[in-house]
This record gives sequence, structure tokens and C-alpha cells, in this order.
Amino acid sequence: MMGETKKIEYEFCKACNINHNQGLRHKYFPNHKKSLSNFLNRFRTKLSHVRFFLNSPIPLNPHLASRNRIWCVFCDHDIHEHSSSFASANAIRHLSSAEHVKNLKHFFWKYGGAADQLPAFMFTHHDVAKWEKRCMARKEDEASERCGGKVFGPSSDDDIHNQVHTGNVDSLENVYSHSVKSYPSNAVLPLQCYTNESQISCSRLSGVAANSSEASSAANPFALQDFAVERTNHSLPCDGRQWLSDGYSCNNQVHDNGRMVSGGSSHQGLPLLIPISSGHTESAGGNLHSGAPPPWVEATEVVQMYSKPVLEDPISHSNKIVKSKKLNPKRVGAAWAEKRKIEMEKKKRGETVSNEYDANWLPNFGRVWQSGSRRESRKEFEREKPKLNDETQSEMPIKIQPYVSKRMRMDGGVDLASG
Amino acid sequence: MSCMLPTLTKKIEVDSIIRDTLDEVLVLRFGRATETLCLQLDHILSKAAREVSKFATVALVDVDSEDIQVYIKYFDITLIPSTVFFFNAHHMKMDYGTADHTKWVGSFYTKQDFIDVVETIFRGAMKGKLIVKCPLPPERIPKYQILYKDV
Repeated sequence: MMGETKKIEYEFCKACNINHNQGLRHKYFPNHKKSLSNFLNRFRTKLSHVRFFLNSPIPLNPHLASRNRIWCVFCDHDIHEHSSSFASANAIRHLSSAEHVKNLKHFFWKYGGAADQLPAFMFTHHDVAKWEKRCMARKEDEASERCGGKVFGPSSDDDIHNQVHTGNVDSLENVYSHSVKSYPSNAVLPLQCYTNESQISCSRLSGVAANSSEASSAANPFALQDFAVERTNHSLPCDGRQWLSDGYSCNNQVHDNGRMVSGGSSHQGLPLLIPISSGHTESAGGNLHSGAPPPWVEATEVVQMYSKPVLEDPISHSNKIVKSKKLNPKRVGAAWAEKRKIEMEKKKRGETVSNEYDANWLPNFGRVWQSGSRRESRKEFEREKPKLNDETQSEMPIKIQPYVSKRMRMDGGVDLASG
Repeated sequence: MSCMLPTLTKKIEVDSIIRDTLDEVLVLRFGRATETLCLQLDHILSKAAREVSKFATVALVDVDSEDIQVYIKYFDITLIPSTVFFFNAHHMKMDYGTADHTKWVGSFYTKQDFIDVVETIFRGAMKGKLIVKCPLPPERIPKYQILYKDV
């Protein structure tokens, strides 16, 4: 028994992506909670795509079937859509299945998620029944259209395909009108009306987790993007139509009951759209066709506006103030630094500085045996300087005399003495 | 290595660099570019100069220059290479555990040693300290003896 309790087996935490031997305790750790909320959010964004298809079923293009798949993190199961005729059909069925619900509940028990988040990761049978009804309606619509002798494409599947590959405005227009006709549920115009609701519903959906602000900020670009779409619709019809007709692959997901959910940028849709970048350029105001000034011109103007005062001294002055504010006023030589700064600035402006330093200037220096202030060492040095000069000068005039031996001198001395 | 850093040969140059280096540590290396130990120190200084560039300026002073002799005498430089530190034109002392607190004599063992010394001086100076304790362990500080004249 003791051994059992001591030796807890290692297990893998899917949320943290680590092996641990802490048992069930692990789910209460703050790091785990953080990574769990990240983990769930990632899957929630993926599910938001599926939810979009749940509310507005779209026939699946067989070419894109391989891309339209989802990995269920709770069941560790890859859901393919090869055989399904509607987008994410298998995923919708899986997410409402009893097995998925069981796995989901197990996951939440094991990793400690909040129970009120459970409905976000599964679909109710009611929703699925509605979805199936809508699918049937769609199928009937298509059949009637095909019987009525359509002008546009052989099937709506191919229309999506066409709209991806043709750059022709005419064909795009056809597609556009067709898509409007054939998607009565996600009518194009409401897309602009429900822009605000996208934020609300999105933040409400993910508001349970700690990152509601994150989610709402993620929703903002899309709101902008919707706005941009509206604008392009006015200024540049062909662009706007292309945009709107790509509703299948773009991230704006319209619920027929008026709610809208924005998804993340990672969608299984078509690769040719870069919604965020276009959204940004459009939101900057005007484009090439609307005659707005190019962004670099604006940028340079702004730079000039900011750089003009830089040339004058107020900015540099304020810079200096900011810098000196940051520095410790008690630092070594603070007063001197301030004085010197003002002098240097004056010099830069061409003014004559009254306090010029002469060639004999020396910094304050604390010598080895120095006591008292450091200025004293300079004074000491000034005092020593003449002495040093004297020494060097006095050393110079030493006369070199020829050697005279002691005896010679003695003799000389003797001579002198005798003489 | 000496070519990487400004080499000062005139007193006025030394004066102006001491006066114009504000709120930064000024590192003056007194030495000769032909000495081996000087070259070693210069190498370390040139490598570290960029890394300490936010809070320090490094310059080399040629001790053979006539004009500089007054500084050699004033700073009591008897051994080369000697490194003197300034902050806002104030001489910064450091307690190395050697006889002379006024200058670093000899080379550094590693670049990091130099950076540590300069950083300690800068931190001390920003707190108003004119003398700081050397952060290096004693075995990494070169030993030397000063023979004092007239003492």
C-alpha cells in the first residue's frame, strides 16, 4: 500500500504537454490551468468553424474534402469528411455523439475544466436535427435549381470552385448572384448589420475562460474587416463581391438566427484569401481606386510633422529633462554634468562659452596617498610641478669631468700643499 | 586591437574626453600598443567596448606621447598598462585589495571581468559613491608592488 501511494505512475497531460507523476493533483496547478484554458481556446476556435457549418450547411466541394477535417482533442480522433456531402458533416455528427460527450466529460473530470464550458464543445441533438433539416432543404433547392435549367455552373460545388480559380469579374458576378440566391440563410447584407453582434456573441462564448479580453480583441479585426467589406462594396464592386461570395472560406460565420461568430484565422478553407491583411489596408482608409494618398506619403508627412520640432531644441530639451529625471540626482558629479551639458549645448548652437578650459586643466584625481578632497591632489600636483621641473633642469647641468686618480689628486694636493 | 578604439595622444584630447563623457563611465587605458600585456588588455577592451557602450566609453592613451607626460605624472602611472576610471569628470576609485586604489594595473583575465568592474563602478557612481569594492575574486586581480619614492 505504501509503495503504491509513494510511486505514482507517470502520466501525460494533454493540456500541458508534459509527463508528470503528480496524479490528479496536477490539475490544480496554476500552470496547468493556464495551459488548459489555452488548449480549450484553440479547440474552441476550430469548433467555431464547425458551428458555422452547423447553422448554415454548405455543400462540400470534393476537392476540399481532404482539407475539411478536424482533430477531436477529447477523443483523440481525426474526423475526415471524405464521404460527406456537406461541410463538416462528420464532425457535426461526431460532436453530438454519445461517445464524444462521454470522452468530453472524462476529459473535463481529468483535467479540471469548468462544467459550464461543456456545452461549447458539443452539439445538442436538437441543433443537429435542425442542421439535418436544413441540409435536406438545401439539397431540395439544388435539385430544383438544376431541374430549372441553371445558367451558372453545373452545381454549386463547382461554383465555389470557380470562384476560387477565376479572376474574371463577370464570372465572379455570376457566382455572387448565385450565392445570394442559393444561401438564403446567410444572406449577404446582414453580414454588415451583425458586425457588432459578432463581438458580443464571441466574447460571450469564450467569456467563461480567463481570456475573454483576448477573444474580444481577436474579434475586433474581423469587425474591422466586415466594415472594410462594406466599404469596398461601395467603392469597388468587383472586390466586394469577391469578398462576400467567398463567405464559404472567409472567417465570418453567419448564423441564420442573427448571431454571428468570428472564427480564428486558421481555417481549413481556401488559401488564396488573406483576410486580415486586406482588412487592415482597407481600414486605413481609402485605397488606390478611391484616390486616397498612398500610405508612404502619409507616413512621411507624419514623420515630418514629428521630425520638425526635433530639429529645434524643445524636443531635445525635453529629452534631456526626461533623462535627467531618470538619473539619480545624488550621483557622482551630477551638478557638474548638468553644467557641462548646458555648456555643450551652447557650444553646439555656436554661442561662446564663458567658462573656457585652459590647456593646464586637470581633472580631480584621488592619488594613492591623498587625503581630503580630490581637488587637493591637483593642488598638490601644481605645487610639485615646479619642483619636478627644477629637478629635471638641475639634473641637466651636471658636468662630466675627466677622471682624476686619487693619487694624482693627492699628488696635486701634496704639490699644492707643498707648493 | 588598438585600432578598434580611439587612441589619444594629446593632452587636450584627454581633457575633452574626460569633460565630455557625461553620466557614463570613462575608461582610460594608459599603455603602449607594442607591449604584449597591453595588446592583451586592448583586445579585451575592444571586445567589451560595444557591450558596455550604454554606460561606458573606452579610450586608449599612448604613454609615449610627450603631451601626455603631465597626465602620467599626475596619475602616478609607473606600470603599464594602467586603467583609470572616470565618471562625470570625477576620478573613480576601486578597492582592489592591492596597494593602489586609484587605477587598475595589468590586464583582465576575461572580458567579463572588465565588464563587471565597469558595471560596479557605474552602479556605485549612480549612487554617489566615489569608491567601490572590486567585484572580482582576489585571484583574478593581478598582483604588483609599488616602490614609493620619498616614503
